[in-house]
Amino acid sequence: MEAFGLLMHGFAVLLTWKTLVLMMVGLVLGIFVGVLPGLGGPNGVAILLPLTFSMDPTSAIVMLSCIYWGALFGGAITSILFNIPGEAWSVATTFDGYPMAQQGRAAEALTAAFTSSFIGSLVAVLLITFLAPMISSFALKFGPPEFFAVYLLTFCSFVGLGREAKHKTVISMSLGLLLAGVGMDTVSGQLRMTFGSGELLRGINFLVAVIGLFGISEILLTMEERLALRGHAAAISLRVVLSVWKDLPKYWVTLLRSSFIGCWLGITPGGAIAASFMGYNLAKRFSKDPEGFGKGRIEGVFAPETAAHASGTAALLPMLALGIPGSGTAAILLGGLMVWGLNPGPLLFVEHKDFVWGLIASMYLGNVVGLVLVLTTVPIFASILRVPFAAVAPMIVVSCAIGAYSIQNAMFDIWLMLGFGVVGYVFKKIGIPLAPFTLALVLGNRAEDAFRLSMIGSGGDMKVFWSNGLVGSITTLAIVLLFWPVIDKAFGSMGRLWRPAKAAG
Amino acid sequence: MQNILKAAAALTGLLASAPAIAAWEPTKPVEIVVAAGAGGASDQMARMMQAAIQKNNLMKQPMVVSLKGGASGAEALIYMKSSEGDPNKVLIAYSLIYMLPLSAKIPFNWRELTPVSVVALDQFVLWDNAAGPKTVKEFIAAAKAASSPFKMGGTGSKREDHVLTVFMEQKTGAKFSYLPYKSGGEAATQLVGNHSESNVNNPSENLEVWRAGQVRALCVFDKERISYKTKVTETQSWNDIPTCKEEGLDIQYLMLRAMFLPGKVTPEQQAFYVDLFQKVTQTAEYKDYMEKQALKPIFLTGNDMLKFLEEDDALNKSLMTEAGFVAK
Amino acid sequence: MSDTEIEIVVDDPTAPEADSPAITSIRVVDVTVSLLLVALALTLGYDNWRTGIAWDATGPQAGYFPFYLSVILAGASLYGVVVAFLSRQEASETFVTRAQFRRVMQVFVPTLLFCLAMQFLGLYVASFLLIAGFMRMVGRIALWKSLLTAFLFTAIMFVTFDIAFDVIMPKGPLEAAFGY
Repeated sequence: MEAFGLLMHGFAVLLTWKTLVLMMVGLVLGIFVGVLPGLGGPNGVAILLPLTFSMDPTSAIVMLSCIYWGALFGGAITSILFNIPGEAWSVATTFDGYPMAQQGRAAEALTAAFTSSFIGSLVAVLLITFLAPMISSFALKFGPPEFFAVYLLTFCSFVGLGREAKHKTVISMSLGLLLAGVGMDTVSGQLRMTFGSGELLRGINFLVAVIGLFGISEILLTMEERLALRGHAAAISLRVVLSVWKDLPKYWVTLLRSSFIGCWLGITPGGAIAASFMGYNLAKRFSKDPEGFGKGRIEGVFAPETAAHASGTAALLPMLALGIPGSGTAAILLGGLMVWGLNPGPLLFVEHKDFVWGLIASMYLGNVVGLVLVLTTVPIFASILRVPFAAVAPMIVVSCAIGAYSIQNAMFDIWLMLGFGVVGYVFKKIGIPLAPFTLALVLGNRAEDAFRLSMIGSGGDMKVFWSNGLVGSITTLAIVLLFWPVIDKAFGSMGRLWRPAKAAG
Repeated sequence: MQNILKAAAALTGLLASAPAIAAWEPTKPVEIVVAAGAGGASDQMARMMQAAIQKNNLMKQPMVVSLKGGASGAEALIYMKSSEGDPNKVLIAYSLIYMLPLSAKIPFNWRELTPVSVVALDQFVLWDNAAGPKTVKEFIAAAKAASSPFKMGGTGSKREDHVLTVFMEQKTGAKFSYLPYKSGGEAATQLVGNHSESNVNNPSENLEVWRAGQVRALCVFDKERISYKTKVTETQSWNDIPTCKEEGLDIQYLMLRAMFLPGKVTPEQQAFYVDLFQKVTQTAEYKDYMEKQALKPIFLTGNDMLKFLEEDDALNKSLMTEAGFVAK
Repeated sequence: MSDTEIEIVVDDPTAPEADSPAITSIRVVDVTVSLLLVALALTLGYDNWRTGIAWDATGPQAGYFPFYLSVILAGASLYGVVVAFLSRQEASETFVTRAQFRRVMQVFVPTLLFCLAMQFLGLYVASFLLIAGFMRMVGRIALWKSLLTAFLFTAIMFVTFDIAFDVIMPKGPLEAAFGY
């Protein structure tokens, strides 16, 4: 029940006019960036981050997380009405959402999407609420070796489990780690890789890189494609909403299954994309009428949306608790936390209770307010798509520039942003994944410091990473994951040896 | 040297007739530059000043806190240096202005900036875990007897915390492994979690965990005890912490908190800020903050300040040289 | 009560033609990028070697990690060069077609000019020029619409950041003339 008391306290922190207004502003901005082509959750949050620099951390995170919810809701609008998935995880929503819209059931599909987003997030938030107090209780067990082991686990799981060509993941990650090291080394107080430049002294900021890699490069990529679209925007009437909600209990299995998949994949860095597809596929497999999927079945909207949102929300838990972002947006929120002077990690739950519980409470409130907001304003937001890209593109460029400049008030960062824009464009086209790069950039310094502090503490003895059960099991798991493809193959061939034997016997 | 004398002469001249010609006023928002990360002692102080100035209407233009903690604060120093002649930026400086140019060869010299005033002195306290040794003597004895060196947490490398650790080693003969954390807050929680045996945090950095009874204050590195007598923990006030000298560990170190303008600003502009920060030190917000953070109140400006800075610089330089932290 | 429907149709008259000839294949770009990365790794590796890559009394020196990372980066990139050379698939895939490249440049060049202009004119004037110019020249939108949109957007940005949220942006001579 400790969780409940803390949560109530969180609500008390939130219920001021100022926070509520910020929440609305965040949601509206979020839906806006979610609907616009060439933007989306992570970019939107990165670009709008500077708005929060002069706020206190709690207001800032409330606004940012609302931008994020808004962007998630906004993504559903374009997927269903125009068959344009704003984000990779909305792809599965278009399978049945767009056919529904074509059959004139757009309002129904949208209601289903928003409602299931709401349910997915709610389940994940409930999970966070009850797991959070447990985290703070073992927070103090984390010393440098434990931190390093967790970072190692994250890096190894990316290399071992990533679907891209292994050497490209390694390139991306080592480049990110290298760039993270530019500037002053905190452990020895020495400068490195600055080549005597005063601009490189402060290092390469993670958020500047993200704005370039995702914001600018996305515009370049968008321009390559044909930008025509056609669709109907429908206002949602109360009657439709109620009729969809009335049918909701019929689909409880689908909703529950998808929520579970989402939470699981959000906490382990599987991501919302995998979650949405898995949710969809499982719903299809267990359905009595799998043929109907893809032709406008409402479960086809429920399943992926619930899973995507559950996973997007659950990804915040490892971010807050361990400082490890489970998604792109979580990585940017992590960057934000560091700008406001909060150190993500288990200690956050001990040192900044107000902040953590304010954030958790804002997830509840933001989702409720967001649901009402999108249900009432769909046509307005859909018509944003009428604005020609020639007007939207330069505005996005300007927003990116504002974002990149204001993080450190440095003109040099504008050039860095542009450089990363080109790098992002080229990397995406030749198949070098960007996620390991951003992850390495945000965690690189912390991982290195943790390693070196462990070494100082143990007098240079590597055994410190197996010195107790907690750190030992994390380190071992990390190494297993790194060599997972090899192990998997070994098990596979062993299995093959087994099976013929059985068949023979 | 000549420049300093000139500046000093101009400043003293000004102070005499300050009210008459203090006609200059900022026309743009004033940036208060913090040479550390968010949430650290400098940032908190900057925000206190921002609030004090706003609440008491000490200035027409708003004050904006600008965090330049990159490269352990070197970013802020370079930023101030390159803003020559811009009267809308004030640096809130601490001992890094002497130490960073020595340890990391940052091309910076505080004499290139315009000193405004010293606004506070920060204490250092030797802390250990509440379950650890109870007095300095027991602590040193335990450190000497330990099979692997005691771990001493601190902020940054080759800076005040690190220097203090080296001096403790020299004075006592005990060995410490110094762990440079990113912030004092981290050093505090790592001490509570028993990942280090001790730290030399400023009072404000360990305040919360001290109140929670998780750490013990062994001694304060100053000639005299901290003056605040209000109870902070259930049983102790800041004044109850003995000085290290009383406990047989003769080390003193205080760290300045001072305001600087960029170089080449006019005497009128300088006078405006001298006056502004003098007023700040008289506000209730400032006084409250000083007590809460156990800072030593002080207000130096003009010649007094220059004299203080020169002496403090010489002291820090000799400490850094002795500790072997000066980059070749 | 029936749903009110709004039809939304947006055309893209200047879309890149589908049959435009390729400028280069993915393989060429992949090899080039990998070689550039090798060069970068060598530069950084050298700098870190100078900083110190040994272990001293307190664990690895400042250059230790970055040095070995540059070795890994160089290794992975060299491997990438070999793989790309052998890959038939990459050779046949188009990196970018001429028509696509033209469109990408239509955004990239103005963005570059915008970054340049920002150094001298400040953010707001540069933004105004970028938005108005881009809408007029690339989007062929009526001049008055372009100017009005650019002005409104820039003004909203100014009010939001510089006034409401105290986030100070770089400024140029125009703002100085108005006393900002």
